[in-house]
Amino acid sequence: MTSPSASSRKALSKIACNRLQKELMEWQVNPPAGFKHKVTDNLQRWIIEVNGAPGTLYANEMYQLQVDFPEHYPMEAPQVVFIPPAPLHPHIYSNGHICLDILYDSWSPAMTVSSVCISILSMLSSSTVKQRPVDNDRYVKNCKNGRSPKETRWWFHDDKV
Amino acid sequence: MDCAEQKRCQKLAKSSSFYRRIYSEVEEIGWEHLVRFGEDLRLLSFRIMDKKGRVHILRITLDGTYPNHPPSIAADVPYLFNLKWSINSRLKDVIQQFQKHLEKLQDFWNLMDDIDHSLLVSDLRYPQRALSHRQLNISNECNIILSIDANDPTSLPDCRFLGSDSGVERLRAMWRKNCKRWMRDKPFSENLAHVLDIQLHGPSSIEKSDPQTECGICYAQYLPIDDELGAKSGSGTDCTCENFSCSRAFHSVCLGDWLRSITTTRQSFDVLFGNCPYCSDPIAVKMNTRK
Repeated sequence: MTSPSASSRKALSKIACNRLQKELMEWQVNPPAGFKHKVTDNLQRWIIEVNGAPGTLYANEMYQLQVDFPEHYPMEAPQVVFIPPAPLHPHIYSNGHICLDILYDSWSPAMTVSSVCISILSMLSSSTVKQRPVDNDRYVKNCKNGRSPKETRWWFHDDKV
Repeated sequence: MDCAEQKRCQKLAKSSSFYRRIYSEVEEIGWEHLVRFGEDLRLLSFRIMDKKGRVHILRITLDGTYPNHPPSIAADVPYLFNLKWSINSRLKDVIQQFQKHLEKLQDFWNLMDDIDHSLLVSDLRYPQRALSHRQLNISNECNIILSIDANDPTSLPDCRFLGSDSGVERLRAMWRKNCKRWMRDKPFSENLAHVLDIQLHGPSSIEKSDPQTECGICYAQYLPIDDELGAKSGSGTDCTCENFSCSRAFHSVCLGDWLRSITTTRQSFDVLFGNCPYCSDPIAVKMNTRK
């Protein structure tokens, strides 16, 4: 897997725990369309099922996102990766890492897991071609030893896809 | 070697084997569930989430006789279970029994959550999972207190009436006349409206979650009580975005932490100048002097 195991990460701060509980409650009342949170008792790692939107290249396909929260969430972005097999997309690497600015430089505490999910689905939905990023092999090779995508220095390609 | 020294060694050996045992037992449960523990490991709090994502804290106290005697337990539940304990039992058995107990209470909590979401409950600010009664606002002059049977939540609840004589008398008469018409398979609010023969109020929209008082970053109205936060510990939101169409409230602690973590923020003396995370309008916050 691409991230350290649950037990070796730093536990959530009180503030992070409280905020995540509220996000989870809100999610249960009002889940984003096309997503399903898999119920576990681990607040720090959410596994979310994503269903490709009807009428897009990913219709009838199901993927899983793994969302890991840092100790000081929401001051830092959550780490969001697809659990391989990841969807074929020009901004998604075969190891599940996603090139999306709001997950790194453009994160803000005004965002939520739910809004991040919607951004990812919209990124999938607007794709016109099912292919890996051009630098996929080089990137994935560099990421061996389970490096987190948050350590990558991202170069955001374009905002059309 | 004198006797006192020998005694001290025996005591140390005993406590170190106790610590080893507790460590391995916590390991079996998973460290991520442990939220708090006393320095001597005799007080442990575990966080357990039920099927609906409700979070429960189980506090376990171990006395000197552990594991020969069962630990004592406490939790925010309407009633506790009898802990089954044998000489081979471990802490994970306590957790398993607690989870089974939570399972049993699911229907009860589903119903309580349903009441909280669909009816006008007075004093809903700090609902506890242990509470099995709710006070509902029926009209300007009448309130009722409903007590739900945690073992049989869909049955007719106990009802007490509060308010002016005339209003209460009418409600009580209706209740007596119609209470046989309580149907287990119907939604709670429908049953209640039917039995009391009145229109019930929905939850108040003002009380629900007021963006004026909740911090847009940590989502809480009050900061946790924490020594690290110094004088700000437990304080409410104290800073608001000046853009009228935004007006998000923040704790200056949260906003300051956020602004300090991004590179576009400027600082002049002890004031940080940045942008509101919601509307991006300029916002300024005085830095907190932490201990």
